[in-house]
Amino acid sequence: MSQTEISITGEPISDAMCRFTVDRPVYPDKSFAFLSKEAAEGSPLAKRLFKIDGITRVLISHEQITINKSAQADWPVIGKSIGAAIRAHLATDDPAVSDAAWENVPSSEEIRERVQQVLDTDINPSVAAHGGVIRLIDVKENQVFIQMGGGCQGCGQADVTLKFGIENAIRAAVTGVGDILDVTDHASGRNPYYAPAKK
Amino acid sequence: MPRVLLLLPTTTYRTEAFVGAASRLGVDVTVASEQPNTLARLNPAGLLTLDFKDPKIAAQRVVEFSTSHRIDAVVSVDSQVVVVGAAISVALGLRHNSVESVTAAQDKHRMRQRFKQAGVPSPQFTLCSLDQDRTTLAGRVDFPCVVKPLSLAASQGVIRADDRGQFIRAVNRLEAILKREHGTSAASDTSGEGRAQSQVRSPASSRQFLVEQFVGGPEVALEGMLTRGELHMLALFDKPDPLHGPFFEETIYVTPSRRVAEMQEEIAQCAAQAARALGLTEGPIHAELRLAKDGPSVIEVNARSIGGLCSRVLRFGTGMSLEELIIRHALEEDFELPERQTQAAGVMMIPTARAGRLIEIRGLDEAKVVNGIEDVTISAHLGQRLVPLPEGSRYLGFIFARAESPEAVEGALRASHAKLEFVIEASVSRTREDDRTSPAIKSVEDVRCAKAADKTS
Repeated sequence: MSQTEISITGEPISDAMCRFTVDRPVYPDKSFAFLSKEAAEGSPLAKRLFKIDGITRVLISHEQITINKSAQADWPVIGKSIGAAIRAHLATDDPAVSDAAWENVPSSEEIRERVQQVLDTDINPSVAAHGGVIRLIDVKENQVFIQMGGGCQGCGQADVTLKFGIENAIRAAVTGVGDILDVTDHASGRNPYYAPAKK
Repeated sequence: MPRVLLLLPTTTYRTEAFVGAASRLGVDVTVASEQPNTLARLNPAGLLTLDFKDPKIAAQRVVEFSTSHRIDAVVSVDSQVVVVGAAISVALGLRHNSVESVTAAQDKHRMRQRFKQAGVPSPQFTLCSLDQDRTTLAGRVDFPCVVKPLSLAASQGVIRADDRGQFIRAVNRLEAILKREHGTSAASDTSGEGRAQSQVRSPASSRQFLVEQFVGGPEVALEGMLTRGELHMLALFDKPDPLHGPFFEETIYVTPSRRVAEMQEEIAQCAAQAARALGLTEGPIHAELRLAKDGPSVIEVNARSIGGLCSRVLRFGTGMSLEELIIRHALEEDFELPERQTQAAGVMMIPTARAGRLIEIRGLDEAKVVNGIEDVTISAHLGQRLVPLPEGSRYLGFIFARAESPEAVEGALRASHAKLEFVIEASVSRTREDDRTSPAIKSVEDVRCAKAADKTS
């Protein structure tokens, strides 16, 4: 199949993030997040993408590639290069993510144990002061799914606690963790510690 | 990598939007709030606690912090932190509004004085005190008028009066609101919210209030960005629901405006003149204007962006959010402001019709699938005690729409809202003013009936 027949659709998520959907699987039924150029070494598609100026993060997931860029880069300019890089990769038989990339990632079970330890020793004793609790729901490959409960569920500061507290502590203690996803139904929180007010 | 200091009050609606924007932009972020985050010790570079009531001490603390973590921009996300944000920026030598200008924008009396001195069209006003004899004051007032606190936001405490009796009742009611907001109730509240409120509110002007001329006509809101004193209009919102009073609860915002181009230009010029009068030069502004018979009249200009979750309807360039735009504007000296995406969009701030405890929300799924509706977010939580205007300060939630025309957006918002039913259990304690403005509700069935009556009136 020629490269020109490959259809790629770009969907801006924000000015800094765009999701490219390819009309065929790129990394079937798996996903891997490259948080730096160095992490992409050895993984052909990610390496091609990080060669484009301004790309800061690449998430390859089945038929989608979600890319973050720096503020200075413009999508109309780098979008064409991204499309070309994806097409060039699909013209080869190279894997999107190398097996070596996974070698540095602990197993799901190891990640689960270490994250649980961080929650038990560092996070939950502290958020308990606001009646909160953080639960580890699942680990899929290196993606971590957590749920915020008690005073954290629906709290106006939940995002701050998640991104600057929980994520920071987990990444500092556990290497190789990919995305940390909050699966909390915040709308159902009945006792948020901080409820937003229109001021 | 540049670092931005986000000043995030713990009770702001804007946390998710600003934290998400900073994360997407890939900049280093330090979040400062008036209460310590429970995990602050785990991330001292990312989580800071500042006394927002004391800008000088807060600025000193950030200057010390910046010796180990350089700060490249300060972003104040809400009204209550614009003064401390300006003080910190001055101390760090960053491009920002002056402390004097944002202080004037925060104080409705100073704002009115500046407008008057600069010839900005705005309502006539008189500064009054709760210590003055109310009957005497009522005799001096021209009706209709609006009784207004100097510092509260989002129409809290703002009451129209058409005669002397209404005026005296309005002032009495405002006094009770100010007592609760600035008095001992927040300080003695040991919840997170109570502590947060007692940290960020100043009692300085709690005995004073404004009596303003009521200006009739439709209202619009202008979202703008100032760069070296030049105003760039980001969006102009129509407010299709009339705001005649006695309270001024905002509901629907729709952009682009359906006003003729000449009027839109006049509105933009008027807002720019008002910003200049205050001395504002940098960063976002949110201006409210009435379109009177003789042209736009500025109700207020705030040195912040649009409140609540309303910014979600705004997208710029290739999908930039308002918060990303604000952070980039603060970080980049020569940032070129992108234009708003042209599709019509709107938001409805769901009004709180009744006082009481929220026990159930019905029709949410149906409200979300109305044609043109992007999302419905309920920000009140079940069990929450709801307080309508003028005492209250929270929205029930927000409805977001996007469609081919402003008319279609407005229609979608109204259709979606009609699907929603909030089951509210009557408050145990009611004031006489509650009884005057909303009949007592004794059961859930009463709520349904009351809602039906609202729709037909």
